[in-house]
Amino acid sequence: MIARRGGALALICLISGFVAGCGENPSPTPAIVAPAISPDQLVGKWGFAAYHKDEDRARTIKEAAAQCNRPYVIAKGATGGVMMNLADQKELSELFLKAGPNGQTYLGPAGAAGPDDRIVSNVDANSFTTIWVDPDNASRYGTSVYVRCGKR
Amino acid sequence: MTVRVSLLLRLALGAALAAFAGAGAGAQTPGQDEMNVVDQPGYQPTPEEEQLTGAYEKQEVFFRTTEAPGTIIIDTKGRFLYLVQGNNRALRYGIGVGRDGFTWSGLQKIARKQEWPDWRPPPEMIERQPYLPRFMAGGPGNPLGARAMYLGGTVYRIHGTNQPDTIGHAVSSGCFRLVNDDVIDLYDRVPVGTKVIIRQAVAL
Repeated sequence: MIARRGGALALICLISGFVAGCGENPSPTPAIVAPAISPDQLVGKWGFAAYHKDEDRARTIKEAAAQCNRPYVIAKGATGGVMMNLADQKELSELFLKAGPNGQTYLGPAGAAGPDDRIVSNVDANSFTTIWVDPDNASRYGTSVYVRCGKR
Repeated sequence: MTVRVSLLLRLALGAALAAFAGAGAGAQTPGQDEMNVVDQPGYQPTPEEEQLTGAYEKQEVFFRTTEAPGTIIIDTKGRFLYLVQGNNRALRYGIGVGRDGFTWSGLQKIARKQEWPDWRPPPEMIERQPYLPRFMAGGPGNPLGARAMYLGGTVYRIHGTNQPDTIGHAVSSGCFRLVNDDVIDLYDRVPVGTKVIIRQAVAL
């Protein structure tokens, strides 16, 4: 779904490029469209695991599912977001889903897409994947996978 | 300094285990590869950072022992791991050891070896750093480093690290860490079944 959205946005960009020159001056400014997923899809208890190499993804997903004895809990925020940790932050913050560049869905503090965000992908009822926008955080923490504890 | 209740519980449990162990491994705690508050999961050191100098740099040294060549002797107090070579010589590696209350001594064998081991932060670490994944697949940046050698049936390991600056310090929950180049070198020299002697101090 995200890939299709990306393709659609690319097409829009290609067409509008003749008018607004978006191909000449790519901007990280998020597109003004609704994010592809809703906060409710992230709320719950999750097995949480990470990997750096793509070949480890499948087994990391299995490991995430095995971590439900110490789940990562995502609750609803007071103002429509979800309560999660930012990188290296012990305290929870209310984070919001937003439409990022290239049709991607970002999750981060209120406001425009930025370096404190993470990119959310591969979302279904029982799992999702994130990677930090900040290259240093992405390098350190790799790709995170969340597998729901107790299927919906 | 704040003394954590969990640490007290661990020490109490460790004392109980030590009292009942009687097998030489006087472990004070069933620690895993917990690290202290300066842990940096995912951090990838530069080659320069991984290059040890001085006493902690791998080197051949005079070492008088009756142990057979191929035996590993760990000197917790000195922060050295010796691989006996025979003829009163040994290869000496700088190591990081268990912090106060997490040191132990005993006799073990390498029960298993693993390249790029996966890492599961212990519960105490998740409590301190709840943003950490509960599982991190092995690879650069993994706190267990490039290799792990599991000691008998214990939870302790000789392993690598992504924090070379912790070599020479008491930082772990009972495991012994080497810089990745050194742990790879050691890993290639010792087979499963290698005798490992852990001592508080070693008389040369």
